[in-house]
Amino acid sequence: MSPGPRRIAEPRAARVLADAHGVPLEVDGRAVDAVRESWLIEDRWWTERPLRRRYWEIVTTCGRNVVVFRELQERRWYRQR
Amino acid sequence: MTIVCILLERLELAVAAGGRAGLLGEPAALAPEPGRELFIGTVSQAAEPFGIHAGMRMGEALSRCPRLALVPPDPMGVAEAWERALARLESLGAAVESLRPGEACFDARGLERLHAGRVARMLADGYLAAQDDERLRRVLAGPRVGQGPTRFCAMVATSAARVRRPAKVTGAADLAPHPVTLLRRRAQTAALVEPFERLGIATLGALAALPRSAVADRFGRPGLLAHDLARGQDTPLAPRLPGELLREELELPEAAGGQQLERALALLVDRLLARHERGGRTLRSAILSARLVEGGTWRERVIFREATADAARIRLAAAARLSLLPAPAEMLELTVERFGPPHSGDRALFDDGATRRDERLREAVRQARAAAGPDAALRVLEIDPGSRVPERRAVLTPFDPGSGP
Repeated sequence: MSPGPRRIAEPRAARVLADAHGVPLEVDGRAVDAVRESWLIEDRWWTERPLRRRYWEIVTTCGRNVVVFRELQERRWYRQR
Repeated sequence: MTIVCILLERLELAVAAGGRAGLLGEPAALAPEPGRELFIGTVSQAAEPFGIHAGMRMGEALSRCPRLALVPPDPMGVAEAWERALARLESLGAAVESLRPGEACFDARGLERLHAGRVARMLADGYLAAQDDERLRRVLAGPRVGQGPTRFCAMVATSAARVRRPAKVTGAADLAPHPVTLLRRRAQTAALVEPFERLGIATLGALAALPRSAVADRFGRPGLLAHDLARGQDTPLAPRLPGELLREELELPEAAGGQQLERALALLVDRLLARHERGGRTLRSAILSARLVEGGTWRERVIFREATADAARIRLAAAARLSLLPAPAEMLELTVERFGPPHSGDRALFDDGATRRDERLREAVRQARAAAGPDAALRVLEIDPGSRVPERRAVLTPFDPGSGP
């Protein structure tokens, strides 16, 4: 069998500094200039591996539009295109 | 004694029961496949005293034995186990005709000299079990082996054989005392057993003694076949061509159905056609199978109208079968059952240059794959474009250069 399909837009670990409410202040060393949007995803709650993510779409001080999320189960930050 | 028949009793039930071997000691039967008619499959030995047999209506079986355990069938697992057993038989040098999962015949002429006249003994001693997994070891280690001048004689001999003791049926005289119920083991004559019994024809000898014209008049062509079988005559074996196994499977991250399943199928077709083992050959038939979320498996054969390697046509034919899937699937698999000849490369009468461009593109992709492996040419395939989880929306899959071979 050939190797499985390669997924696009796999999450990559990110270094995020957030405030007490979980709002990102700094992403990979770049300060956050503005938060454009935030949303919550809860899925597969009926399985043994539920998916819970809080997404943030932010703009850094250098003008880049970045999407990061906090994995609420394992409490880690990732960035995603 | 040229034909050898090997019977692995209750293979389907053993595979479906999996690790629950204790189930086979209780009255149990294979449940009907989802979406099919409500007839039970193979039954355990403990269910037989209740008069329950394979092919009986589920309601009747349950009324005869209310504590009958119904085991969800696993056609994928059975096909895999049986394929391994057949490959092992073929490794002996046998040209095997598979009658149904668990039962196969082959002509032992020639092989007897090769194996010093011990073919039947080798099989009875558990030759098939040597390389198989633990849960099937008991089934594979104790096959019933019969020998006879024809396929049916050898099949009847397996019913008289005991574990590790091959039996022989030499012809009509040996067949005579056996019950007509053995005709259930041939698909064409299975439906005749009940009317024969109602008419008081209990043994194959009684059937053979009937005038041929009377049997033909009452039962038509299947009756004539049954009469021939009872007199020790049978059609020649039609052994299968030993083939190679080309298979692609895809684990679905969550229960999938509808459009997602069709996209998964498209991905499997692309991956299958991109395999270098295919060597430019077309596909005659394929097996589409799935593991269902609620347990059990599902399996459908897809036979193409003409041998093809056109991804769009294969997708179209296979997608029609997906609608028969009885429940959401967590794994989808596509296996080539038979290959056709390589594509001839014929061109259309009015060629606008597109065919030539496709050919060049295909050749370029072929060369790139030969140099850098199957991942050399990929395309983006949208699996679930509306998903809220970004990594589920699209995958990279082997690039298929448009229509054509």
